[in-house]
Amino acid sequence: MHVGQSCPLSLDSVASAVHRNEPSPFHVSCATIRFCELSCGIRAQPIDRGNINLIETSQMTVVSSSTGVAHPKPWEEKSRWIAGLLAILIPGAGHFYQGRILKGLIYSFSILGLFAWGQKLGEGTVVYNLPDKGGIFRHVALSYAAQLATGAVAMPALIQNKRAEQSTNQKLTRIAGPLTAEFQGRLVPLDQPNRGTLIGTVTVHPKEGDYGPEMEGTFSGSLDGERIEIPLGGRFELDKPIKAGFRRQIECGVVEPSALAGKMIEGSIPRSLFNAYGSPPDVDQLQELNGRLGKLYELALVFTWIAGLLNILAFWDCICGPAYGFGDEHLNPLGNDDSKTPPATGESQRRVASDAETSRAEPRAALKSPA
Amino acid sequence: MPSVQSLLFSSNVTWYLFPLALAISLVYSASRYELPERILGRAIRLFLQIIGFMSAAFLVLWILTYGI
Repeated sequence: MHVGQSCPLSLDSVASAVHRNEPSPFHVSCATIRFCELSCGIRAQPIDRGNINLIETSQMTVVSSSTGVAHPKPWEEKSRWIAGLLAILIPGAGHFYQGRILKGLIYSFSILGLFAWGQKLGEGTVVYNLPDKGGIFRHVALSYAAQLATGAVAMPALIQNKRAEQSTNQKLTRIAGPLTAEFQGRLVPLDQPNRGTLIGTVTVHPKEGDYGPEMEGTFSGSLDGERIEIPLGGRFELDKPIKAGFRRQIECGVVEPSALAGKMIEGSIPRSLFNAYGSPPDVDQLQELNGRLGKLYELALVFTWIAGLLNILAFWDCICGPAYGFGDEHLNPLGNDDSKTPPATGESQRRVASDAETSRAEPRAALKSPA
Repeated sequence: MPSVQSLLFSSNVTWYLFPLALAISLVYSASRYELPERILGRAIRLFLQIIGFMSAAFLVLWILTYGI
């Protein structure tokens, strides 16, 4: 398909108007170069002969048809260790490092998108590590192993599991210092159904009571849309600091002189990302989540598992290249083994240059004739 | 016979199959080939195969549960 064959493409910037409609050896040579530009991606260098912009075959860098189409292998050009490590940690990062931008984007968006969507569906509680302490999966639960393959986004659960097991991670009936947080909850017991919604800020601090340390504070916000301030004291319970979920349950008693004395406020305050992300849920919390979310909770798990398993494919592609090759091996007369195709530079250039020399006689004769 | 509305309600979760199949098709095809046109062409074909197969399975199950 190179020197000696006609070119079906129109010539615009490659050759002058003289060549455009002339079925001469110039046309053949220019068309050959044009075809080579498209088939093997190697651009020919035009030379200027006066007012005629010609391309001489000896100036070409082409790959002859006998050697087929050659592709560079970016996974062999860069460090496989670095690429593999990046691919494990961040889906697509290894491909960006190798310059395979499109594939990197595909892997990043697909894998991280699935993982993030799963986390969103599961309210951030689906990625955690609760291994079976007596079984073969003593350190990593099988469910978490699939999620862990996603990379750095799933790794915090390895540490959070250990932190959650500490003896200090308990429900609190009093706290050492003051606490102020945004609160969402309700007033219980309810006088009427669908009433008692509280939105505002809760502030509590320890104090020394008659019978030992106590908690007191205030709630400032709205009760069913109406502005209110409620004094708090007496009963106090705060959920574990390290636990799944970005809301932390809190209960406080209402004390006098409020008209609501004897009631309680129960709701949630924010839990920090550092304590929530990757932390394991309680059994009670799991039951509540499954009951409330239903199939969505299981779907959330499935999304995160599949994200991790897909990253295994991405990692493999990063260090070893595509499984089936580039995808144009059927055009390669040397067969599907990409390793048989010669490089696009150096040796193939010299070979073609010698081929070009033998076929240059007729075009060179025409080159010497004036336009 | 189950109504269309009850079908949609009961298969709410099923709609999540589409983005899931799309992601799987893209990643799998990208791991097989290098050229963009081959990747995208193969991904579209695989996506349609997955959706087609799941639709056929859904149809069989729907027929089997007809009237229940």
